[in-house]
Amino acid sequence: MAVKIFIAADRLDSVLEKLSTKIDLWIPALLKDDKSGPTGFVQYTPGITPAFDRQTTMPLKKLLLPQEETLLRFKYQKDPEGSLKTTIALDDPKEARPTLVFGARSCDVRALVTLDRVFANGPYVDPYYVQRRKNTLFATLVCGQTDSKCFCSSVGGGPADMEGSHLRIVRLEDGYLVEALSKDAQPLLADLAEAPDKSRDQLAAKLVKEASKRQVGDLDTKDCAPAFRNRFQQNDYWASMVSQCLSCGVCTYVCPTCYCFSITDETRNLEGERLRSWDSCMFYHYTLEASGHNPRPTKLERYRNRVGHKFSYIPERYEGLLGCCGCGRCIRSCPVNIDIRQVVGNLKENSNEQ
Amino acid sequence: MLETDRNQLHKCVEEALPELDMMIGWTRCDPLQTTPVFIRDAKSISSLTLGPFCSQNLAGYLVKPPALDAPPKPDAKPIGICVKGCDSRSLVALIQEKFITRQRVRIFGIPCGGTVDWRKVARHVELGSVKSADVQDRVLVIEDSTTTHRIALEEVLSRKCLGCRHPNPVISDVLIGAEVSPRSTGMETSYRDVDELDAKPLEERLAFWQSELDRCIRCYACRNACPLCVCQDRCIVETREPRWLTQHVGVPEKFLFHFIHAMHLAGRCTGCGECERVCPMDIPVTLIKEKLNKIMEEMLGYSAGLDPEAVPPLLTFNPGETEI
Repeated sequence: MAVKIFIAADRLDSVLEKLSTKIDLWIPALLKDDKSGPTGFVQYTPGITPAFDRQTTMPLKKLLLPQEETLLRFKYQKDPEGSLKTTIALDDPKEARPTLVFGARSCDVRALVTLDRVFANGPYVDPYYVQRRKNTLFATLVCGQTDSKCFCSSVGGGPADMEGSHLRIVRLEDGYLVEALSKDAQPLLADLAEAPDKSRDQLAAKLVKEASKRQVGDLDTKDCAPAFRNRFQQNDYWASMVSQCLSCGVCTYVCPTCYCFSITDETRNLEGERLRSWDSCMFYHYTLEASGHNPRPTKLERYRNRVGHKFSYIPERYEGLLGCCGCGRCIRSCPVNIDIRQVVGNLKENSNEQ
Repeated sequence: MLETDRNQLHKCVEEALPELDMMIGWTRCDPLQTTPVFIRDAKSISSLTLGPFCSQNLAGYLVKPPALDAPPKPDAKPIGICVKGCDSRSLVALIQEKFITRQRVRIFGIPCGGTVDWRKVARHVELGSVKSADVQDRVLVIEDSTTTHRIALEEVLSRKCLGCRHPNPVISDVLIGAEVSPRSTGMETSYRDVDELDAKPLEERLAFWQSELDRCIRCYACRNACPLCVCQDRCIVETREPRWLTQHVGVPEKFLFHFIHAMHLAGRCTGCGECERVCPMDIPVTLIKEKLNKIMEEMLGYSAGLDPEAVPPLLTFNPGETEI
């Protein structure tokens, strides 16, 4: 028997508060006191304003791949026996607390399929990511607020896609119907709220059915690799698509599937830490080599790499999996309105010309 | 009126294009937004647009690829560019600092009644449902699938436009459309937001910036969109050797970055507001530069980007300086 509860809209805050005593709770919320302002996932505290009515500006990847993370701390110690000798002490501060993300969207969770392939499924397993991933549960909203920039159905997802989710949230007019989809999520719902009545239950089922039939986006993302290879050296193509690019990092930082990072040793005197932080392939320094050579010296090569990585290299390496979850954030946040759908969509158009 | 102006723009560009290397302008990509275009062939001219949705400042492209693919040859054709009032000041500043010569640009000046900030529109209308948008008699008229919304233009204008003193291009070869009267004529109205913040106690100001800059994701869109951030790939915040800034993303590091950005623009910033417009986290970063601009104006009587012949005060060196 499925475990379901109904949270009345006016009881949401008290239910979330109760939930936050069971597990570290993260919800989408306003990051600024402006209802149309930027949003992101934040740890729940009473009184916070949830933003369930639209997709967040920032993705939830920071929960699994923080923008900055200390991989280890080190300390050089002088050897009292010989002043020229030093020893190094390492501290490896791994910890991950059980966490629930309440109010993710299908696209947000879908993106984790890509991150998992890279960080969890080998050949190189990232223990930091894996530990957090294992400890994080997702309560996902059946999405009713897709807009003209969304294209989740084009990349294998959909507004009601629950792959990777542990709980399903259906927004009703007067509240939220939450259903446990996996056994480990069931205890979270205990004593939170009453089971839904039959009419709400039926309405929610109807909404889920409708949402799962909705086709969001019509971008053809199948087998882009050959077309991408044909386009690879057509500089005119890339110039016509992305000359306006500013080479900033917005698209990569708001992207739920962009996972590139940089590692720096930040030392002060004899102590320091090894820091992992988000990097962006849109930056000049991303590919700058020690020799001074840069294989991607301009924005054209850099944007081309972004498209290639998501729609050609990842699919080829991981049996058709895409490096894109169709959330449309890169389109919405781009300062000069570059639309990746246009760049990908045109790959196949007359790509053999020239 | 917009239609007439657009036709005039198309006609002027059509006449000029054979003598140009390329034409930089805007094209509509969404009912509320535009994207920059780089036009080399006559058949693309019809995609050019102008008006209240043309928010991007195109002047920065003059010092970046594709406009700056190679050092300009003596016989290089000029680059055509569309500029609003504020954009024209960035262009003047680039000329002042010798990043580009006056002869290298053919300026299509566009008097501007203010640009629409889509974030402010989102307070009134669900953006995803917008079918069409137009400005008529200082009212933004938006059609969505069910109804027509009418929003006073002042409510959705970009913040920088509300205190704009130079809506008409300060430099141009061709003027498209009729000149408009400025919204602001003095420092009081232009620096209203700075004054408002300055009036608050220190603790409150600190708390304000801490909370605003906490959202910064260090994507550097503000820097890259700035037409006068000319160091570009050699920016101090990213150099590895020497490493001036850490990769930490705490508020102090973000503070440092934003103040480096602002200080490098002291006496150079023309207040075009690009840094604030492009911020995905809606941080009012132009305010920091506005404060510096105000100091410049009060202490030295100087505003950047108004006179191509003027030397910016911090670019002068007087060995006999007595005031510092």
